[in-house]
Formats: sequence, C-alpha cells, structure tokens
Amino acid sequence: MNAQKKRLSKSILTGLAAIILPFGVQASSDSPKNMHQLYEDNCASCHGSDHGGFIAPGLNADSLKGRSPTALRSLIMTGSFDTLMPPFYGRLSDDEIRGLVKHLQTTPKQANPTWTIDDIKASIKVYVKDESTLPAKPTYQINSMDDVIGVAARGKYGRGSGSKAVFINSVTHKQIGEIPTGTAAHIIDYNPANPRWAYVKTDTAEIFKVDLYSMQAVRSVKTGFNGPGLGVSRDGKYIMAGSYVPHNAVILDADTLEPLKTFELEGVDPDGKMVSSDSGMIIGTPFADIFAIALENAGQVWVVDLKEGFPVTKIEKVGRHLHDAFLSHGGSKLMVASYDDSIVTAIDLKDRKIIKKLEAGCVPHVGGGSVVEVDGRTLGFGTNFGDCDKMVVSVWDLDKMEVVKQVPVSGGTESPAAHANAPYVAVDIISKDRRARTIQLIDKKSLEVVKTLDVGGHAYFPEYSADGKFLYVSAGYSGDEVVVYDSTSLEKVASVAMESPAGIFSHGRVRYMTRGLSPDEMKGAK
Amino acid sequence: MKLTILSGLLILGAVQSVNAASIYAGEAKAAAVCSQCHGIRMPSADAPFPPLAGRDADYLKTALKQYRDKTRKSDIMNAIAGSLSDDDISNVAMYYAKLKP
Ligand code: HEC
Ligand code: HEC
Repeated sequence: MNAQKKRLSKSILTGLAAIILPFGVQASSDSPKNMHQLYEDNCASCHGSDHGGFIAPGLNADSLKGRSPTALRSLIMTGSFDTLMPPFYGRLSDDEIRGLVKHLQTTPKQANPTWTIDDIKASIKVYVKDESTLPAKPTYQINSMDDVIGVAARGKYGRGSGSKAVFINSVTHKQIGEIPTGTAAHIIDYNPANPRWAYVKTDTAEIFKVDLYSMQAVRSVKTGFNGPGLGVSRDGKYIMAGSYVPHNAVILDADTLEPLKTFELEGVDPDGKMVSSDSGMIIGTPFADIFAIALENAGQVWVVDLKEGFPVTKIEKVGRHLHDAFLSHGGSKLMVASYDDSIVTAIDLKDRKIIKKLEAGCVPHVGGGSVVEVDGRTLGFGTNFGDCDKMVVSVWDLDKMEVVKQVPVSGGTESPAAHANAPYVAVDIISKDRRARTIQLIDKKSLEVVKTLDVGGHAYFPEYSADGKFLYVSAGYSGDEVVVYDSTSLEKVASVAMESPAGIFSHGRVRYMTRGLSPDEMKGAK
Repeated sequence: MKLTILSGLLILGAVQSVNAASIYAGEAKAAAVCSQCHGIRMPSADAPFPPLAGRDADYLKTALKQYRDKTRKSDIMNAIAGSLSDDDISNVAMYYAKLKP
C-alpha cells in the first residue's frame, strides 16, 4: 500500500514536472532581499526562520545541495503528498517559485538571529484595553469551563484564514468560538487560577492571551521566531515561553504579557561540549512555584524558581536531545523524553536530581504523556516515533520507576491520551502510510491493543473530554475535521470541520495535571 | 473482505454501474492524491482549488475526462488526470459526490 502510494505520488510529481515546467530556467529578476521576505512570509513558519528546519526540514545551500531545481520547483508547486507541505500552485507565481529555489540553494543556514527583551516588549499588542469591560461569565451556554476543548487548527499553509484556535463544547460537540492566529496555532494552555484565560502559541512564537468567556484575544506578544515551548505557573501569574530561533526563553507576566526575564539557553552537553540549545518542553507544576524547561541540545533540565531574580537550578546529563515531558506524583516527578538515547529520564523536582533513566522504545515523543492508576499502581504511558523498527508504547511503573511493559503497536506514535473514567489509552499511529489514518486503543488493565479506529486523514493528537465520555481526534492534514468518539463504545458521534487540525487540549487538564489522573489526586497534592 | 463488499453494496444501493469495491478505491485515491489540493470535505479557504465534495458525480467524471484528453486545459489537472484510468475516474468521482461538504 505504502509503496504503491509512493509510486503513485512520485509518478504524478514527475509527470507534473515534465508538463508544467517544460521551458528552460529563466533568470529571476527578483532580488535576494525580496526572496528572503517571500521565504519569511510563506515558508519560515514550518522550515525555520534561520533556514535550519523546524517542523519541516531545513532549506539551505547545504541541505539542498545537488538537488534538481526542476524537481524542487514542482515539489513546491504541488506540495509533498501526505505531509504538511502544502501546494503553492496559484499562491506563488512561477517566477516567484523559481526565484525561491535559487535563493534557497544559495543561502546558508543563518546565524541565530537576536530577539531581545526589548523586541519582545515592543511586540505586545493590546486588542482589549480595559479588561474590566469583559463579561463576568461565559457569553454562551456551558455547564463548566472544564468542558471547553481547544483545537490548534494549523491551516493548510501554516498561516492565513485557516490558522486559528478553535474552541468546542465537549458535551455538545459544537464549536463555541475561534481565535484567528495569523500563523499556525501549535499549543493551547489554560490558566489554572482563573478559568477564563487561555494562552495560544503559534509556530512563529506569538502568544495570544484569550478571554474564553467572550471568545476573543485580548493581547498578544511575539516571544521569538519559532518554537512551541509554553507553560503556565500554578498560581496563574507567570507564563514561560521558549524558542528554537533564537535560542532563548522568557518569563512573562501572565496578565499583561510583559517580559520579566529572558534566559540564554546554552550549556555543557553530555559529551562535555558547550552548546547553544533549542528550547524543549516548558512546564509549570501544581507541586511548586517553579517552571521546568528542557534544553534540547544541551541535554539539561533547568528549574526556575518564581521569586526575586528567577534563579535557575541546572540538572545536567539528562539525555541526548531532550524534547517533551509529563508530570506525576502531584507534580513532584517529571518524566523527560530524550530522542537520541531513546530513554525517558525521571527527575525529582523536590531534590532537583535525576531519579532514573528508563527505556522508552525508539525516539520517544511523549506528547504530554499519560498517567493512570490501575490496581494500586501508577502507570505512565509514553509514545515514540518508532523510526528504528521498534514499534511499542512504553508503560512504566512510576512508583518503582521501572518498565512494566512495551506494548506492541502497529507503528510509530506521537501522543497518548487517557482519562480516569475511560477504559482505554489512545495512541496515534503516525507511520507514513495507511496506518497514519488510525488510532489504537490500549486496554488499561490488560495493557494490550484491543481496537484500531480508522479516523481518516492523518489522525493524530487524541484527547478525552473533561468528563472522559468522549475521545476527540484530529483527522489532520487532508482530513480537515476533528472526529469525536464515544470513549467506551468507540462509536463515532460527531465531527467538526476545520483546516488541518493538530493538537487538542482539554481545559480539564488544569485539574488533572497529566491526562489520565483524576482531579481528586490533584487535590491531595495541594 | 466479503463483509466489506456486502456493506459497500448496501451503501451504494441501486447504483448499478458501480463496482462495489470502487468507493474504497476512490477514497484511497482521494486521500493519497486529490486531497493534497482539493481537501476531502473542502479545500483550504486560502487555496485556489475548487471544492469537490458533494458535487454531481457526472459533472466530476466529465471534467476529469476533459482534463485527461486536454479538451479542458489546466497544467496541473491535465497532468493528474493523464494518469487516471476510466475506473479511477468513476471511483474517485463517486467517492467525492457521496461526501457531505
Ligand atoms: C505548513 C508547513 C509548511 C510550509 C508553510 C512550507 N513547507 Fe515545505 N515542507 C513541509 C514539510 C512537512 C516537508 C517535508 C515533506 C516530506 O517529508 O516529504 C516540506 C518539504 C519541503 C521541501 C523538500 C525538502 C527536502 O529536503 O526534500 C522543499 C524544497 C520545501 N518544502 C519548500 C518549501 C517552500 C519554498 C515553502 C514556502 C513557499 C514551503 N516549503 C512551505 C512543510 C511546509
Ligand atoms: C496539485 C494540485 C491538485 C491536485 C493534486 C489535484 N487537483 Fe484537481 N484541480 C486543481 C486545480 C488547480 C484545478 C482548477 C483547474 C482549472 O482551472 O480548470 C482543479 C480542478 C479540478 C476539477 C474541476 C472542478 C470544477 O469545478 O470544474 C476536478 C473535477 C478535479 N480537479 C478533480 C481532481 C481529482 C479527482 C484529483 C485526484 C485524482 C485532483 N483533482 C487532484 C489542482 C489539483
């Protein structure tokens, strides 16, 4: 199936290249400066402002060396089938595409650009001046704000009118509002202290402060050029954001979005080399007034105390190429995924020390993780890209910190969803063929896959509604809808149309911290 | 396999000329190729591509055949339809026509 589809797409591509581009290359009259702007405006949000890659490969003289300009042009025109790379036919002229290819093949990866605390400050936009004029309660019918579920709709082109955060009532499955974000929405986080505020971060590192009661953005700030890292402190007073470009992180006032302190992300990696680093996950915890941030390339986790001067405790040698993480035990333990050594490292946030490194399949991407309590055990679930033939979901006992089982699944996975009231842990299969349309369900007790759902599109980012009764899944690119299932019968009950839906974020998360835990456990933690 | 064919037949009801398995073939083709530009239920609001879901099946078939024999001109669609067989065309047209936009 895969091979067949690949061949199909390939032959169409070559066919197109031959027919669309029959004439010799005409030198483009556009200057490099215009081309740079064209790249920034159309490509950088996915390929990286520094040409070094972000959610898509780097595009620079080095990475595109020796590639046929004709093939690149037709790829840009038609997009890459079955991926997020959209077709630019009709959006860019043939001359522009030619010019871009030439520009990309001659431009080296750029130095890390600067974006200082002053730039951040100057970027603040205020949409609602006087927040006291906002309504005191939701302007729509909803029983509890926990029932709000937010979807990061990327939009086909990663920008434009399809890029927005869409909010849905997860009891009625009806859309209650949407916030246009200009570029692809990536992360949605909620304020644990005040249910009215949500924060939406885009691929281009803007953060929107959203009033969920009136469903509008009240402020925004640009914290960098690219990078998904975003966390909110337990008291709801601070947010922290981290970037890939440039290599920094910033703590903001959650109310005004004013930057309070920036951090240069650099440190000694496990090989003893001093490196400048992308920001990985950033997480606030109900356990303490701190943020934890993963320095991807330096392999370090920093714990920032939310007090005068924001002092940092550095935990070194956590792993090689860290990415995302999840919390357990009232937020006192942090499980950090490390791509290159295929481990998840357990960190004690109380002692600020590594507890143990656990086997985690192959290239772990825990995507927010899941923790469930079954038969007196606290079990953590971790997904992984499975790029090296080991296609399993790891299950760890988080009390003993040991591997319980590696559950065989049909492909690589990116994100697990669980809920205290739902019988299954859902994982999204991302392997690039028909399997990408599916979600697999692991029974919490038997720890075996009991069902495979064909969602359509590129199905990913499963999430349960706050009451655990429904399972939401993005039928991502080329699917263009969010599909809702009954979490026990697994019957499809609804779908909500939107362009390239990706991450799904239940407001209930602020109560259960990590998906799968019950709110009662959280009360115990405080 | 028997079962899917049966339920396929049920869905298609009285439509006579259509092979039972075709809707699945049409779906596969749409997911692998056409959705890249046309989307499944709708194209991107920012895209220059016409929607296909819920359109008249005969219209879609005729359009695809015209693209194939180049009586209707479009660089992209001429190239794409050029590699489609008669069966491909009726399968994918059937699939899109049945979808709710
Ligand atoms: C919405 C995200 C997104 C946007 C916007 C985007 N791309 Fe891509 N692009 C991708 C992804 C994902 C891939 C990898 C596709 C694959 O794996 O086949 C890709 C692949 C490519 C490749 C092939 C790279 C290689 O090494 O094979 C080129 C060239 C490219 N894109 C050019 C562009 C240009 C030029 C633009 C802007 C006009 C652009 N892209 C905008 C997501 C995007
Ligand atoms: C690379 C982008 C691309 C892909 C892939 C693509 N199309 Fe198209 N399609 C277009 C464009 C552009 C047009 C408008 C052409 C024109 O001006 O006539 C179009 C037009 C059409 C039309 C005419 C619609 C109308 O309202 O008259 C049909 C039917 C169609 N496409 C079917 C398909 C099918 C079926 C597939 C998959 C086998 C497909 N297309 C794949 C770009 C694409």
